Amino acid sequence: MNTALINMAMQTTLAAIEPRTIAQRAAESAHENLWITAGYFLAAIVGVALLLSFLGMALIYIERKVAAAFQCRIGPNRVGPWGLLQTVADTLKLVFKEDFVPQMADRTLHMIAPFLALLVPVVLLALIPYSPALQVADLNIGILFITAIGGFGVMGILIAGWSSNNKWSMIGAMRAGAQIISYELSATLALLVVVLFSGTMSLTGIVQSQEDGWWIWRGHAAGLCAFIIYLVASTAELNRTPFDIPEGESELTAGFHTEYSGLRFAFFFLAEFINMFTVSALTATLFLGGWMPFHIGDWTSFNSAMDAIPPSIWFLGKVTAIIFVIMWFRWTFPRLRVDQLMHLEWKVLLPIGFANLFIAAIIVLANAYPYPVAGQ
Amino acid sequence: MISDATYTVMFYGLSATVILLALLAVNARQLLRAALGLMGMLALSAGLYVMLRAEFLAGVQILVYVGGIVVLIVFAIMLTRSSELLEDHPAKLTRILGATFSIMFMLIACYALGTTKFTESESTQAVRDEVRDIGLALLDRGANGYLLPFEAISLLLLVAVIGGTVVARKTPPKHQPFTTGGDLRGETVAHPPLVQDDEHVVESKS
Repeated sequence: MNTALINMAMQTTLAAIEPRTIAQRAAESAHENLWITAGYFLAAIVGVALLLSFLGMALIYIERKVAAAFQCRIGPNRVGPWGLLQTVADTLKLVFKEDFVPQMADRTLHMIAPFLALLVPVVLLALIPYSPALQVADLNIGILFITAIGGFGVMGILIAGWSSNNKWSMIGAMRAGAQIISYELSATLALLVVVLFSGTMSLTGIVQSQEDGWWIWRGHAAGLCAFIIYLVASTAELNRTPFDIPEGESELTAGFHTEYSGLRFAFFFLAEFINMFTVSALTATLFLGGWMPFHIGDWTSFNSAMDAIPPSIWFLGKVTAIIFVIMWFRWTFPRLRVDQLMHLEWKVLLPIGFANLFIAAIIVLANAYPYPVAGQ
Repeated sequence: MISDATYTVMFYGLSATVILLALLAVNARQLLRAALGLMGMLALSAGLYVMLRAEFLAGVQILVYVGGIVVLIVFAIMLTRSSELLEDHPAKLTRILGATFSIMFMLIACYALGTTKFTESESTQAVRDEVRDIGLALLDRGANGYLLPFEAISLLLLVAVIGGTVVARKTPPKHQPFTTGGDLRGETVAHPPLVQDDEHVVESKS
């Protein structure tokens, strides 16, 4: 009887820590009452707002410190300890600035565009598995959804450029559109390589498929190649240097957000940084094993030491590393011209991407992984 | 999992918004606003598909219609001077004809909806791995497979891609002073240097 009790207790504990996504929990608790669902919605909105503001401020602070380090400066150091409150002060300044809409602009669209731009990264945040227990929704069409929503992202920029009724904004928006649509192809091809390797489109499934080794090295050169292509194409989709011709301040003032000020400009700014986080998180999830710890073959003691680090710390560490690389790009490469940009995508990345996908298919068919694959 | 009341609220909320956005798409005076309405409408219909447990269809809907077609439409609008193409007052005949056909279509649709018997599908109860099913069905050579249509569509898309490239390709004029390749590949200028007089660009005699 005692053993039965212990068994029951064990089972309930296991059920409690069994990984479930936040969406599942919300749906379960909302079984009876509509108001609980409404409460979940409210809590979700507050939580997302807090997360966004924190992430945005933290990333901007990091960006400024990293930029300073690359240029042998100190960076923000006056407001608060180590200048930590500098971005808070800047954000407050942006909030209290006048929200200016040009007289000849399309007022409604001018107002909507920043929200559209911010919508996409926020939706994508929901799909990322932060740890085995922390994920908002695990769709079984995860990758497809990411591609779909990512294509939607260009709309905010296009509409911002058009509605401002300004030539610079318009040129910036057209450049952004052409650039994002082009580079989306390569990014999708790189994503498909991972889908081929792991045999699933669910992000948690992809993380779990990397238990024996991350795809960046278990997929031979194809995995590494897909990783590099995805990183380059994503940087282009982020409109960050060296692909920042949509904003190109030396030629277009500020590109598509020339006519924006105050909180609406802050939204574009925030969208860019949240996008950077999302892209880094996706790269970490797809190629670097997400929250999976780093293991080396049979080194049992090393592996168990690695297991002692919590999964969310692994995830955050990987994401931070990739964010640092993306910031590094900014101070290393000069801005590309439009024709160089198109040349890089259509004549370099795209053919390599296709060839890479083909090679990956051969690797999967031949089951020629360096390590044995679980479940095959 | 979610209670019926929640579903009902979600369904009516989504449907009302979809209808409003569809009206905006038809009635907006500015082309770009109409395109935006269309975008919102298509994206929210994907929400309806999700409620019907057709997640793959919802994803493809957003991918193809919102991310592809609407973005193309917006691009086309931005490339034209759409503000000067405003057709504020269509002819009376056009309006009458349009109204007649819309009302007729609405009557037919209402009739069809009223007379159809809707049976509850059984397959909605179990959650299937629908992506795998679709993938297997697309590459199945058997009687229930779609291999031939799949290949035919691939061929059609390939033809479309090549056709688009050929149409978009610009044959440079004979005396084009520079190539669009710029200094990327270190091209040497094939033409002799050009001399510009007042009206024409002519090749120098040297």
